[in-house]
Amino acid sequence: MEKQPYINRKLFDFIEVLRDADIVISADEVLSLFTALPEIDIADKVSFRQALKTTLVKDYTDIPVFDKCFNEFFSGREKLFDNIDVSAVASLIANSNPHLIEELNDLLDQFLDSLGDLVMERSSEELLNMFLEELLPSSSGGAGGMSIFKSNNSIASSFQSMAEEDGQENLRQGIDELLRGMLSLKKTKRSIGKELKNREDYLLNRYIYQLTPDEIKEMRELVKRFGQKLKNRISLRKKRVKHGGIDIKRTFRTNLQYGGVPFKLFYKNKKIDRPQLVIMCDVSRSVNQYSRFMLLLTYSLQSLFSKVRTFAFISNMVEITDLFREMDPERAINSMFSDENFTYGWGSNYGRCFNQFVAEYSDALTRKTSVLVLGDARNNDNDPGIESFKKIKERCRNLFWLNPDKKHLWDWSDSIASLYGAYCTEMKEVNNFLDLSEFIDKLFVDI
Amino acid sequence: MFASVEETIKKLEEQKYIASKEIATTVYLALKLEKPVLVEGPAGVGKTELAKCIASALNIELIRMQCYEGLDESKALYEWEYAKQLLYTQILKDKLSEIMGSESSLSGAVSKLTAAEDVFFSEKFLIPRPILKSITKNERSVLLIDEIDKSDSEFEAFLLEVLSDFQVTIPEIGTFKTDVKPFVILTSNSAREMSDALKRRCLHLYIDYPTIELEEKIVGLKVPESGERLTRQVVETVHRIRKLQLKKEPSISETLDWAKALVILGYEDLDPKIATETLNFILKYEKDIELAMKHSKDIFLN
Repeated sequence: MEKQPYINRKLFDFIEVLRDADIVISADEVLSLFTALPEIDIADKVSFRQALKTTLVKDYTDIPVFDKCFNEFFSGREKLFDNIDVSAVASLIANSNPHLIEELNDLLDQFLDSLGDLVMERSSEELLNMFLEELLPSSSGGAGGMSIFKSNNSIASSFQSMAEEDGQENLRQGIDELLRGMLSLKKTKRSIGKELKNREDYLLNRYIYQLTPDEIKEMRELVKRFGQKLKNRISLRKKRVKHGGIDIKRTFRTNLQYGGVPFKLFYKNKKIDRPQLVIMCDVSRSVNQYSRFMLLLTYSLQSLFSKVRTFAFISNMVEITDLFREMDPERAINSMFSDENFTYGWGSNYGRCFNQFVAEYSDALTRKTSVLVLGDARNNDNDPGIESFKKIKERCRNLFWLNPDKKHLWDWSDSIASLYGAYCTEMKEVNNFLDLSEFIDKLFVDI
Repeated sequence: MFASVEETIKKLEEQKYIASKEIATTVYLALKLEKPVLVEGPAGVGKTELAKCIASALNIELIRMQCYEGLDESKALYEWEYAKQLLYTQILKDKLSEIMGSESSLSGAVSKLTAAEDVFFSEKFLIPRPILKSITKNERSVLLIDEIDKSDSEFEAFLLEVLSDFQVTIPEIGTFKTDVKPFVILTSNSAREMSDALKRRCLHLYIDYPTIELEEKIVGLKVPESGERLTRQVVETVHRIRKLQLKKEPSISETLDWAKALVILGYEDLDPKIATETLNFILKYEKDIELAMKHSKDIFLN
């Protein structure tokens, strides 16, 4: 039981880490964790992890994040001694009291807590010096340290005496090393959550077509997780919208108690038509990467729409809906490029493709359809096919154009963005993942 | 009550439910802390089965409530039996007029009738629905609220009251409160997100497809006729199939079906030919079967 406070502090640190990583944890959950812990054997790693998981993490899309944090956070001890001269430390421990490490640990924690956010800004070395200064005020000539250390005089003085004794050079060094190791480990641990979050923010905000292959691999997980979150959010909101005809069954049943006189009326929740989506992707080289991501995201959201038809084009419009049905989006996109009919000619030709779409696929357009065009509108000075584009606009509910180019680059060189923009419901600059998910989110509000 | 995590595993195994340590820990904690559990995971991993097995392992009653769109309080909590009330009023007409008969003034009649009103709004005319049943029962029970994600958010809000206080107020009668809280299990296939308030009140358990070892154990327990060799082949094949991009991944129950079918057909060995012929036991979509065939070299190794 006497170890309890230490464990508690450690858990609070861990909860902070999870919160940094954007997992929502309320006081209720913390409370139930602490009522749960005495019931299980915390030395059993699986039970311990599950107790934490089951009480703290309520959104299953957060589970991978939790696992990452948990593994990093509770895999400490071994790492601590990685960069340390073990023999020096061993002799140190042998020569001093057996609780030295624990006491030092406590002191370090208090020290770091007292610094607050400063911890993240200082390097480990700086922190170490600050700590030693606090602990051994006399050695730096400064007067008095923080009050917490005064109350721990016993350890401070034993420390001091050790430091002042001659011939104990290597011992002193051992302590320094030990402290350094502990400090940097603590520092990394405290920042696990923040780093995960920072990494996510970085990836989500990065220009999609600037992502490196490794980052793309990382992104794939992220897209999946975010897609799921987005999906959950949208479907929750959809349920809330009400108003509709009278619910005869329920009204009758309730009003039986008034002898069948309808005092209270009940309304049906209006079924919201799930939107139909037609996506036209420019997959030419300039926007290839971008389209890949867009397709990946819409694919993971497919169940929210009643119907999704996907088209890809460079200079020819090709329907790829079936491809997506058969294989995972990544492979579908790759196999698309092996289609000769498709890769014929180089450089996008928007006009020709819109003409083709109107001629061959206009059955895809209804009053419920939202059309998304993804591309940079760089038409290589071809005929823009405005007539066809207008026709598309007339026949669908709304027509959005997502343009990966920055706004000031629209109409630059061979781009004819504003020419098309005039006939769109909206042309939007979308070039990172956050914008993209925001857009999709909004798509459902407007309907 | 289970005494420890290990005992939870053991007791559940006696009910032929193989629980991983994660599952057992959560179940054990939920029972100890008297908290509801929200179980999520893909279809067919045994979420409902878990509730059933806990009930029979603890030897207590299982009260099940299936959620669906439009489910409301009257279906979940209680309902007055109007027809019976009406019928009784008709039958008791004579008796009523007897009581009222001596009264000359209208207000006198009303107050007399009011005195007898309680008769008609008593528990005799109440149909208890699952939630009320689990609360009025004075012994422990398992209340399974199945597929909560299919219900409306109004219903979810209503559940909050029940889950936090375990009490139900019926205006005409009063408040029912229970001393013995039922053990509540909510299952969800994540068709929609649950509200934060509900999640906060529950422990959360995510059940994923089991590991190969665990699934082998499950098959061994449920279909003991299939030998060790066949069991291993079946489970390993299913695990390889799950890695494909399928419309619907084979669940545990489908693994079991497949193993059973192979036993009935008298096979002792799962060679590629037999496997492809019986693939429709685990894959329910034509496209999925085609896909599995395409990858048959990587999937059917034996």
